[in-house]
Amino acid sequence: MALKLVGSFPVQPDRVWCAAPHPHLPLVATASTDRAVRIYSLRDFSLVSTIEGGHKRSIRSISWKPNAKGESVLATGSFDSSTGIWHREEHGTSAGGEQPLDSNSEEREEEEEWRFAVVLDGHDSEVKSVAWSAGGSFLATCSRDKTVWIWEDMGNENYETIAVLQDHSQDVKMVAWHPEEELLASSSYDDTVRLYKEDTDDWVCCAVLTGHTSTVWSISFENNGHQSRLVSASDDQTARVWCRKPKVEEEPSTQPPSIIKGTADETENWEEQSCLPKAHTRTIYSVDWSKRTGLIATAGGDGQIVVYKEVDITEDGEPPNSDSGPNKEWKIIAQVPAAHGVYEINSVTWCPKWDKQGTKTDGELLLSTGDDGIVNIFEFSL
Amino acid sequence: MSDIINANPTILNPSDLPTRHSESRKKQSTSAHIADKISRLPPSKSLSYDPFSSAEDSAYSSGSASDQDDDDETADDIDEQEIYDLISTISDPEHPLSLGELAVINLPHIHVTHTPPTPQNLHPMSHVLVEITPTINHCSLATVIGLGVRVRLEQALPPRFRIDVRIREGTHQSTDQVNKQLNDKERVAAACENETLMGVLSNMLATCK
Repeated sequence: MALKLVGSFPVQPDRVWCAAPHPHLPLVATASTDRAVRIYSLRDFSLVSTIEGGHKRSIRSISWKPNAKGESVLATGSFDSSTGIWHREEHGTSAGGEQPLDSNSEEREEEEEWRFAVVLDGHDSEVKSVAWSAGGSFLATCSRDKTVWIWEDMGNENYETIAVLQDHSQDVKMVAWHPEEELLASSSYDDTVRLYKEDTDDWVCCAVLTGHTSTVWSISFENNGHQSRLVSASDDQTARVWCRKPKVEEEPSTQPPSIIKGTADETENWEEQSCLPKAHTRTIYSVDWSKRTGLIATAGGDGQIVVYKEVDITEDGEPPNSDSGPNKEWKIIAQVPAAHGVYEINSVTWCPKWDKQGTKTDGELLLSTGDDGIVNIFEFSL
Repeated sequence: MSDIINANPTILNPSDLPTRHSESRKKQSTSAHIADKISRLPPSKSLSYDPFSSAEDSAYSSGSASDQDDDDETADDIDEQEIYDLISTISDPEHPLSLGELAVINLPHIHVTHTPPTPQNLHPMSHVLVEITPTINHCSLATVIGLGVRVRLEQALPPRFRIDVRIREGTHQSTDQVNKQLNDKERVAAACENETLMGVLSNMLATCK
């Protein structure tokens, strides 16, 4: 098994912070220190559009809105303290949305069509991360101002602040939504991960994950129907997997419903399940849990990309005990040193592989973005 | 900075400070050059994917015509003394003195490590650790001084260098807090887009030789 470099997007003039694949088109958007968003084709790895002019400082984070009908919607978080919402109409994309973007002239037109629609102001300092909820109705943003904001899309380019969560004691580095539930996670310079959900009318912190000994830079949920897990990556050079414990069944109707009980119902019990095998020698800046294959990838300041797989433990050839479930462990199955030469890697992101005709294949690619302005594309070969 | 935080610091005689600077050494940047580099932070590094060429393409060789001699530079000739020469001439933000003269930067507190290439990794990183000694243990400018040292080294060293700037153990009351900030890549990147702060740093670095 090996992670093979299969290509790179055209070089950018400055540090690339992160990359985000489009929810249904063969496109990837990147966020850069040079204040531009670049959109690349996953069919031939070419540059499709460069979107500039919306932000006064580095664009740190980017997220595509899922379920946007008839258009593509991007959110960008910037060091200029604002969040931008960008729109572009999709032409002839009703049938699966896989219209090829062929000729150069069409691509030129694409550039014109991106529109900076809304600026969401509210954070006091740099916006570090933006993320749309799975259904696309909520946008979460976080900042060095220690807060997490949740915005609701009210339609017609109106966004309403529905929560300002002030549970972290420091800089909030990243926000991520559960792939199915309206459950939000945030990670922070205060070394913790926090989870939030809506309790009657208010969004509240429902769990705190403690264990990391330094800044938690990145978090990613697993996409697995029957259980909920989250992986976190830290400046302490470790990545940890956390698991939601099933709720203990409460004695029915021994107590009348009360406000206090209502609040208690919203708390969740999350526990550290495992620490991934140690491989990094500098800060881990990014972790991504593949929603398709269940593999986890990490990358960081040591320039390495590491891929982990959860395998059954079979002692002495005995089959794993199917009753007790967690007879599994994480193993490193691929390691790429110097994946961006001598430069640091800021993010790793799994995305589907597309063929030249613009049809999604079963394969998967891993994108890495570096301080060298390069986005590398790796393919995992068995 | 109207209130002087340490009005009476200990000062070393410049002629007693360790140096390898000499007139013949031509890799010194002019102060205008440094100021220019600061003004367009973060640095535009070589974007060639060949790490060998990018390793040589440090800020030493960007924009100055007088440093062809850098081309013979090999991976291991950047040592503690060279790091000292790069950062000891930074000006203190509140005194008209250099960090070397104030003994904020000291040669024994600089550590450089080079990792030899292996077949698995042809492009190993080099590492520099600088421990700074604030003139007094509640110096509120420790973060600014540390940031100045980090920015100077990021500008001057080849990209293979990983830089750690720390407050020397026991010399400041909030060592951990300052260290965490100084080594947070995102905070440093955001600070480098703050014009007021970069104005202060630009003045500090203007005296670098």
